[in-house]
Amino acid sequence: MNNLIAAIVFIALAPVLGGLVYGVERKVRARMQNRMGPSILQPFFDFMKLLDKRPMMVHSTHAFLGIMHFVAIWFALAVLVLGGDMLVVIFLHLLATALLVVAGYSVRSVFSHLGSTRQALSALAYEPVLLAIAIGFFMVTGSFNTSAVMNSAQPLIVKLPLAFVALLMILPIKLKKSPFDVADAHQEVVGGAEIEFSGVFFEALYTARWVEYMFGYSLVALFAGANIWLGIGMATVVFFVVNAVDNSTARLNYKDMLKISLGIALPLALLNLVFLVL
Amino acid sequence: MGLNKFRAKSPWILHYNAGSCNGCDIEILACLSPKYDVERFGMINTGNPKQSDILLITGPVTERCRERLVDLYSQMPEPKVVVACGSCASTGGVFRDMYGTECGVDNYIPVDVSVPGCACRPEQIMQGVVAALGILAQKNKDIEKPVRLAGKVTEQDGQTNRRELAGTLEATNAKN
Ligand code: SF4
Repeated sequence: MNNLIAAIVFIALAPVLGGLVYGVERKVRARMQNRMGPSILQPFFDFMKLLDKRPMMVHSTHAFLGIMHFVAIWFALAVLVLGGDMLVVIFLHLLATALLVVAGYSVRSVFSHLGSTRQALSALAYEPVLLAIAIGFFMVTGSFNTSAVMNSAQPLIVKLPLAFVALLMILPIKLKKSPFDVADAHQEVVGGAEIEFSGVFFEALYTARWVEYMFGYSLVALFAGANIWLGIGMATVVFFVVNAVDNSTARLNYKDMLKISLGIALPLALLNLVFLVL
Repeated sequence: MGLNKFRAKSPWILHYNAGSCNGCDIEILACLSPKYDVERFGMINTGNPKQSDILLITGPVTERCRERLVDLYSQMPEPKVVVACGSCASTGGVFRDMYGTECGVDNYIPVDVSVPGCACRPEQIMQGVVAALGILAQKNKDIEKPVRLAGKVTEQDGQTNRRELAGTLEATNAKN
């Protein structure tokens, strides 16, 4: 019962926690570059400022799809934390991405189309790896439910080390970090699929990104099994690794991203599955 | 509502080069570097008009970029402020009265802060932006129109259509 309440509180607070993670991340990234960096509450300042802008939208479907993107990704996190089916989690996450891609295509701006195409390519790069990881969970625990993973006494990373490495490799794609931030591609194509959103409607996408952070790091924590502190520790270490990599690499183009994720990360995850069978 | 005070805490910047010699652009980039680090004020260089609050303009506005300048300005949601960086954005500077350029940004869009200097120092740019933040916090959310090349704003089914807020040279010439 206590666990359920904790899970529900965690889900309800996920956007706030994700915002904090994003704030800490901006600070950490700045300190890594020997800068002062903004305050840790900066994402919330941005949030309040965006509320205060004059509302402006391209057309109502566009705004609606953006908001549904946020809802879908929050649902994906909820199913993951409440111990639901891992496949449902992955498909909800894919649905969220698809909504964003469609939103990007629904306006006339070519930059928005470009961003959507790149977003779709990123999904193509990481979804197969996520599926392989879900199959790995199934082979270890005998169930696709994440509750089975969260109850396993032995951390899953012991049995699935290569799948964990594969997850590390696709995490920058999901969180839109260098070297795989082709979807966002700041300073190159400016912004990606969310380029035409502004003011309160951009808010949905801005907070969706925070929830995405919580989603990504929860996936990492799943590899720790029942040991929640180990999970938090692993997520913290991965957080620093991802940011260090983000700071020290340049953006690759989308072909390299596909080559690395489908040519290295996916085979690694599949190899791990083969080892499990042997 | 008290939300105004957050405007000054997270200014997002759109930088547009209206035909500058790149001197001032380099100084703006220097502001983002670790030495000056404007991100500590929460500033981000978004490069996207729909999500920014401050329009930083360098250059005297060449004939080629007039329409684009007005277009970018019109796409920014209010409240917004405009900072003209450098002598030539403020008055035309060394390009004043040349055949292909206009004399400063304020011929086309309302400018809130002018930063002097050729090229302006990063410290001056930062001071200019901080001054602009004070103005930003006071502004209301009414639609602001460009000075020249202004198009029309129409009301339809209770909704404001600002798609034609930025006029074109063709339409303006036809009218005169
Ligand atoms: S003010 Fe001077 S340095 Fe700046 S863009 Fe104009 S000519 Fe170049």
